[in-house]
Amino acid sequence: MTQSFYSLSWTDVFASMVLVLFSIGLLRWWKIGLEKTLIIGTLRTFVQLSAMGYILTYFFGQRHWLFMVGLVSLMILVASYEGYRRQKTALHIPHYFIIITGVLTLTVILVLGSVLTFILHVQPWYYPYAMIPIAGMIIGNALNTTSLTVNRFVGELEHREAEIDMLLSLGAPPRAAIHDAIRESVKAALLPTVNSMMMVGLVQLPGVMTGQILSGIDPLIAVRYQIMIMYMWVTASTMTNILVLALVYRQFFTPRQQLRCDLLRRS
Amino acid sequence: MENSNVFTLAGVSYVIQNTPILTGITLDIRSGEHWALMGPSGAGKSTLLRLFNSLISPTSGAIRFHGQPLESTDVGRLRKRVGMLFQEAVLVNGSVRDNLTLPRQWVRPVPEYAEEQLTEALERVGLTPGHLTTQARSLSGGEKQRVALARVLLNEPEVLLLDEPTASLDPPLARKILRLIADLQRELNLTVIRVSHHPDLVRSFAGQVLFLDKGRIVEQGPIVLLDQPRTQDFSRFLREAQA
Repeated sequence: MTQSFYSLSWTDVFASMVLVLFSIGLLRWWKIGLEKTLIIGTLRTFVQLSAMGYILTYFFGQRHWLFMVGLVSLMILVASYEGYRRQKTALHIPHYFIIITGVLTLTVILVLGSVLTFILHVQPWYYPYAMIPIAGMIIGNALNTTSLTVNRFVGELEHREAEIDMLLSLGAPPRAAIHDAIRESVKAALLPTVNSMMMVGLVQLPGVMTGQILSGIDPLIAVRYQIMIMYMWVTASTMTNILVLALVYRQFFTPRQQLRCDLLRRS
Repeated sequence: MENSNVFTLAGVSYVIQNTPILTGITLDIRSGEHWALMGPSGAGKSTLLRLFNSLISPTSGAIRFHGQPLESTDVGRLRKRVGMLFQEAVLVNGSVRDNLTLPRQWVRPVPEYAEEQLTEALERVGLTPGHLTTQARSLSGGEKQRVALARVLLNEPEVLLLDEPTASLDPPLARKILRLIADLQRELNLTVIRVSHHPDLVRSFAGQVLFLDKGRIVEQGPIVLLDQPRTQDFSRFLREAQA
């Protein structure tokens, strides 16, 4: 079942660009002004993914555990830097880069480790065909939802400053004073993932599963993979969100349990 | 403890992002006194108030609470002993009962308020036991401030900080709430430190007045200062406030 039903040549890939040309035509007709960006995006998709294909082929040829661990660590570092850089609010949060790197590392160790060892029973555990794509999925998804959570959290703190001050003035510990802010932030970041779990299979087939079916995998096997991936996503996202906020909220308080308004003003 | 210093401030300054908000504040506040903090907008009145229950800490200088350095007191306990009411009463979603019992969630073991304590707290602020089940969001502005006051009183504070809690209320209602606070002050021997803009309201209820301008104390002393201001700045401020 691993044989491809429809093998895709580079000529076929170039042919698929015609679809994008059609989109560019539509944008131009309606003077949306996004044509140039779309052309750049189309070329970058081609170049980046082609390069990634060659890089993955090289990586998949490696057979040393230390190489794989190094590679996953590099993925975490790059992702953390990207997550840190793309958030203007996070730039002012003390230790944010360290927090996000630490939490991503812990999430990868626990979730990736569980999937490889106890679920897929991969032998050896660092088998690159399993380890690299799954690590990529965990890191990418966790990073996206974490960015949403932290942005929302800072917004909630600004919005709820009076409420937080009131709670602190009544003797509430910081964690109790910002509990509602944390709850709303985590909910907002996780709802899209949870909603996609509600809708999956009803309207659209998820990308991973579609790709597997197209390449000739039995749909029953493909769905099993997809179910595992969905569970893995939601676990990684929940874990990262909660842990990041558990460490980030402390940065907004002094040891005297005072809200650091100076950080909010700079956000 | 009668007439002993509750708060002693010595050379207290507060700077935020290189901007001085308070400079060299030296002040003694004795038990049972009712202070009115006056001054133009941006004078540092609210900032000074927030220093008393450690919502912020001074950049320099020392604050003592009953002779003990403020930074060495347990902050949770301090904030219960030094209650605060804000300009806008912030109530959490839920009933009045939920709001009154909110502070007990943070204490282990969880203390049980007897029903009588809750009804007594409500009656003290001029509400009825029937309000316990009312949704907080359906209360009027005055009722919200009363619930916020009852909630603070359940912590059994010895000091009450008031950051213009009557600013958004109409004058008769504001006067009513201030009368209530003055009565409570006598009944519970509270020390009250209150930000106020209105000389009339200060004259009616406060015993001491402090006039701040640009973060510095310009005048401080007994309430007669309102009739005999020693500086031109205070005199001008009072004229403008009364106009």
